Amino acid sequence: MTTSSSPAYPPGTVITGKWGRSRYIVERLLGKGANGKVYLVRPSGGRGRYALKVGYDALDLQSEINVLNALKEQMPDPYLVEADDHLEGSREVTFYVMRYIEGSPLHRFIRARGTEWLALIGLKLLEKLSVLHASGYAFGDLKPDNVMVSAYGRVELIDYGGVSRFGRSVKQFTEWYDRGYWNAGSRTGDGSYDLFSFAVMCIGLLDEKALREASCQLPQTRSVSDLQQLMRRNPVFKPYAAWLNKALAGDFADSREALNEWKRRIYEASERHVRQIPVRTPRWLKNAFGISAAVLACAIYLFLRS
Amino acid sequence: MKQILLITDGCSNVGTSPVLAAAHALQDGIVVNVVGVLDYGTIGELGGLEIQEIAKAGGGIHRIVGTPQLAQTIQMMTRKTVVQTIQQAVNKEIQHILGDGSLEDLPPAKRSQVVEVVDELAETSPLQVALLIDASASMKPKLAAVEEAIRDLMLSLKARAGSSKLSVFHFPGKHSGEDAVMDVNWTSDLDGVRSMFGRLQMRGATPTGPALLKVIEFYRYGTLEGNQSWQGHSSQEEGMLGDYVV
Repeated sequence: MTTSSSPAYPPGTVITGKWGRSRYIVERLLGKGANGKVYLVRPSGGRGRYALKVGYDALDLQSEINVLNALKEQMPDPYLVEADDHLEGSREVTFYVMRYIEGSPLHRFIRARGTEWLALIGLKLLEKLSVLHASGYAFGDLKPDNVMVSAYGRVELIDYGGVSRFGRSVKQFTEWYDRGYWNAGSRTGDGSYDLFSFAVMCIGLLDEKALREASCQLPQTRSVSDLQQLMRRNPVFKPYAAWLNKALAGDFADSREALNEWKRRIYEASERHVRQIPVRTPRWLKNAFGISAAVLACAIYLFLRS
Repeated sequence: MKQILLITDGCSNVGTSPVLAAAHALQDGIVVNVVGVLDYGTIGELGGLEIQEIAKAGGGIHRIVGTPQLAQTIQMMTRKTVVQTIQQAVNKEIQHILGDGSLEDLPPAKRSQVVEVVDELAETSPLQVALLIDASASMKPKLAAVEEAIRDLMLSLKARAGSSKLSVFHFPGKHSGEDAVMDVNWTSDLDGVRSMFGRLQMRGATPTGPALLKVIEFYRYGTLEGNQSWQGHSSQEEGMLGDYVV
């Protein structure tokens, strides 16, 4: 196996492309994926910032680049900027450059801003997924860490290492969000695999403790009905339950249908809810109004008396 | 593609060297991966070294993990090994065409095409994985986790586009002459298998080497007799193989 444990590049390291000759300067390490390390870089002499992924293994990373290249034609704003090799000592490492998304992972965003953002973010995420699915690919490893949310609820999927064509086996997955882990179906990549992960992700975001408890069962008895049960116990799931149950059962024809239903049942309902919150008049305003009315009454009284 | 996945927690102490047995396996085109399962304490310098040596001789990967990571680990190792086997074959072809060169030396566009072929073959080529489980006394509390991990592996293999088969062996057997016992014959579905390791008799000896040789024999016999037909008319053949080993 050629899994290299190469040390992280310190800030200031210049990464030079062997074929394209572009140069990038490392600012800092952003994170580590299953296939490589991701750095924040800026192009030498250019403007803007990008994320640059250095692979542990040329083959694994190339496989990821292939997927991104195939998606490049489908996506309105391409994610992949370029791919190249960098000479690191005597060894060549493959890297690719992608759009940098400033934001926080989904679970941190929701924790900081509240679950009322879920309806909007879920909608945007389902839009992303349905574009991906329309091109015949499943994301695979859908989990909160792989969903970046920027300040105003813009959503971006990161780490395309688990993406596989429909009908092929899912390359990477994470236990909790895996359909097979819940004895609920195969590990073959398809639209409903991602929708299942999406549903478990929502459950985890709304009630992480209950999901943790449900996952602690014996592997043979673990099932979707545990997830359905935990949703019945907590009223927070009420607006979502019908949609989530359908996603867990794999009953959506495709992600477009899932998206439309989310829009109708959850997003629009939450919008109504937001609008319906009564605007309360603050007490100081009422008091001030009372006082000024009294003063006015006094003034009129004094005026009439004089 | 043929693989043996050895799951153990310590050192062999009887018979042929497992490192030699693994080298034999590789000679036969069978890659040997080794997982050391460890929940408490350490596997010992000697055990760790042996695990590493077996995998090296068998052209495979080795990992030492606790039972919670077992399922994910063997799933990942199997997949990696499949890709590696294909890659090695493809690299050989590339060297044949380019003289001296590997994947990394190809320009991006060419490399992208090669990797596409590798991915395609890795997904569609027929695959056989024989799991060889150390069932010595210290492994007993871990066997439930091992069985669960095997079922999980089957689930992942079932998702492949190509045909995938899995068989399960444990060692040592009931008496000293029996180096390995077959628990599950080649199958592509474990749903019908209720309990893999039913009545195990724990004995002190750990004949890792001889057990490996048995599994190689099992592989060899299959290919000799069936002439690569294990994916075709397999029911008759399975019966024969079963009789031979048990």
